[in-house]
Amino acid sequence: MRVSILVLLAVVGATPGLTQTPSHGSWRDAVRQLRTAPKARLTRRSAHATSIVAESEPNNTVPTADSVAFGDQATGVVNPAGDVDTWFVDLTAGQFLSVDVDAAQVGSPLDPTLELIAPDGTTSLAFNDDFDGFDSRISYRVPQSGRYYVLIRAFGATGGPGLTYVINFGKVICPVVGTEQEPNDTPGTAAPVAIGDSGSGEICPHDDNPTGDVDYWAFTARAGTTIELDVDAAALGLFVDPVIALYASDGTTQLAFNDDQDGADSRLQYSIITTGTYYATVADAAGSGNPFPYIFHFRSITPGPGDPITVRAEGLGRPLGLAVGSTGDLFAGDLTGNRIVRVSGQGVVTTFAPGIPSPFGLAFDAFGRLLVASGDGAVYRVTPQGQATRFITDAGAPFWIAVAPDGRIWLTDLSDRSLRRYSSTGQFEARFDAISVGGSGPGPLAIGPSGEPYFSQGAEIWKLTNGELRRVLGSAFIIWAFAFDVAGNIYAPAPVAGRIQLFDATGAIVADTFAIGPDAPQAVAFGRDATGATVARLFATDTRVGRVFEVNPAGVAHPGQPVGYVAPRVPLDVAAASLLGGGGLSAADLQYLDALGNHNGRYDVGDFEAYLRTVGGLPGAGSNR
Amino acid sequence: MSRSRWIFAMVAALVAGAACSDNPTGGSARAGTLSLRLTTPHADDGAMTFQVSGPPIDNATVANASLRLFTRRETGSTVIGVVVGALANGAVVTLHVPDVGAAPGYSATVLEVADRQDALRASLAGYTLDVSGTGEEAVLRETERSVRCLSRIC
Repeated sequence: MRVSILVLLAVVGATPGLTQTPSHGSWRDAVRQLRTAPKARLTRRSAHATSIVAESEPNNTVPTADSVAFGDQATGVVNPAGDVDTWFVDLTAGQFLSVDVDAAQVGSPLDPTLELIAPDGTTSLAFNDDFDGFDSRISYRVPQSGRYYVLIRAFGATGGPGLTYVINFGKVICPVVGTEQEPNDTPGTAAPVAIGDSGSGEICPHDDNPTGDVDYWAFTARAGTTIELDVDAAALGLFVDPVIALYASDGTTQLAFNDDQDGADSRLQYSIITTGTYYATVADAAGSGNPFPYIFHFRSITPGPGDPITVRAEGLGRPLGLAVGSTGDLFAGDLTGNRIVRVSGQGVVTTFAPGIPSPFGLAFDAFGRLLVASGDGAVYRVTPQGQATRFITDAGAPFWIAVAPDGRIWLTDLSDRSLRRYSSTGQFEARFDAISVGGSGPGPLAIGPSGEPYFSQGAEIWKLTNGELRRVLGSAFIIWAFAFDVAGNIYAPAPVAGRIQLFDATGAIVADTFAIGPDAPQAVAFGRDATGATVARLFATDTRVGRVFEVNPAGVAHPGQPVGYVAPRVPLDVAAASLLGGGGLSAADLQYLDALGNHNGRYDVGDFEAYLRTVGGLPGAGSNR
Repeated sequence: MSRSRWIFAMVAALVAGAACSDNPTGGSARAGTLSLRLTTPHADDGAMTFQVSGPPIDNATVANASLRLFTRRETGSTVIGVVVGALANGAVVTLHVPDVGAAPGYSATVLEVADRQDALRASLAGYTLDVSGTGEEAVLRETERSVRCLSRIC
């Protein structure tokens, strides 16, 4: 895996006390995690390696496999390209074998794959590519005694003298993982956790528990509160199925159980009647005993004014960025589908623009075209008809994007942790270094009430004013793509906490829980009505579960601040008269009108046609702005 | 016949003869409409500026509701306009004039054309604008002529 779990933990908040500052570059890493199905990094080793065995080529086939014993550690190198290293180990029926490859963890560039072959030498029993980052692991309880074969290859059939690895054959023990510590399979050994925190751990293979590991967590809950237990495992990109349960203070009376509330992941809510200690468990629904890491959230879910939420569209892949068109349609970037989807007011989902790699931030430009910061290093511009072209190409790693009322384009650049400003037509104007703000530097970006850019550097929001960076607010959580209402209040999604927070214009907290209903809100945006006016409806993407939802509109006190470009007030009759030789427009107006149309350096009939379309004056035409 | 009665008869005969003339421009000025008819070599014109000069023009309107028209009077006898929409061969603008009989005196010119993607046409070759009477105007003229002839029993 190419991304450190330290970054993952920082961003998705796997550890308790969620006030972390993301490390350098973690916005990109966070998105990469979202896109590429993140996996927690485990520091697991087979216990008590009895000997270290070096491979002996040729060992590309079952008949030429190298021999190891249960408990051994072996070393090898995948070389040349296409090389396959084959190992065999003799096992007895019911024995639990864990085969764990370490390549990245020992500094090797190898991206290995593992395959377990049955004693017949041909039947594939299990396969794994990426388990521990890019490293691989298979855990398997063998049904019959015999000789089993393990094949290790380089992903993509590459190879080379530097592609070394260490492979462990044996029983995997469960030492400290995240915030749990085995053994914790009973209420008496439960790992402590507090409401409001998250725990992280792993469902381990465990020879002492043939049905698989069960992790117990203990917490204190007060009467009158409603708690939510929310486990993320499949959401981390693993093909697993965790179940959770809540037990009373006696540790045995089951109060609640859930499987598959959020896809394969589980979540439950329970109203506490009696103050006391309660227990929550995580286990594998399949009972296979195969290991997987997880993050377990313990929340108090006193609803906020934005609850309950309403799902407006689902099955969107991994929607991240969000923008609202001039007629109220929602546009979301799907990280995994490399596309922009459009969600109509009726909830109809269509692909608006395919073929945009890793779409991050979205914003409409001064001319009604959608700008998309892409993971391929460009900002794309998409016409109302969905035609995308590369537009800004001189930023190293554009991440988030916003359009100011003057039409200028602002974007955050992860490559040098800067803010960059462009003209409305995409000409570079200025760069502002933002390394000094700490955290991860500038990430998600929005334009504030005074037209200045605000951005999250992680758990803080900063703004650029008169060329200087100023801190606006700090949060207990990492803040993603926030939005302003007309009163200057800031709606800040905190995906790690599964909530949206509300701050006032001074940065003071108004509602720590504005909405607790979302699983992992990532980007919020105010809706717009058919005239393009921003309204008091707040939408958000939930990347983890592939949804766009709306918070309770009754809880949204103010309409959203108008977003994007505010066109100069060029009356229609003046625009027409100027075209026909009557004058009446400033040079800036003429430049705007030309940019609106055909960009040929003068205001002409094509520009007027475009202007009419933009203002909705063209029969049969419309605009997305 | 007295001299005065003779003169009256001669005048009456002259008036009646003039009314029955086939010359459509004969008689007093008559307000009405004329058409600006476009000939275009393209099928995707989206906007056009034009100029019409000649006798006075009272007003101009679009020839059909799918178009939008904006005009500016440059002088008393010259109007510049822009018509936007799905332009095609045929009538695009209706001119309201004080004297339809003066139609041959008008001249119209295409100034600029843009396609429906807002791109300016590099060449105006093949574009023409003709001023002609509308069908409605022709019917009215024939009806009037018929009434006059009947009054003279011609």
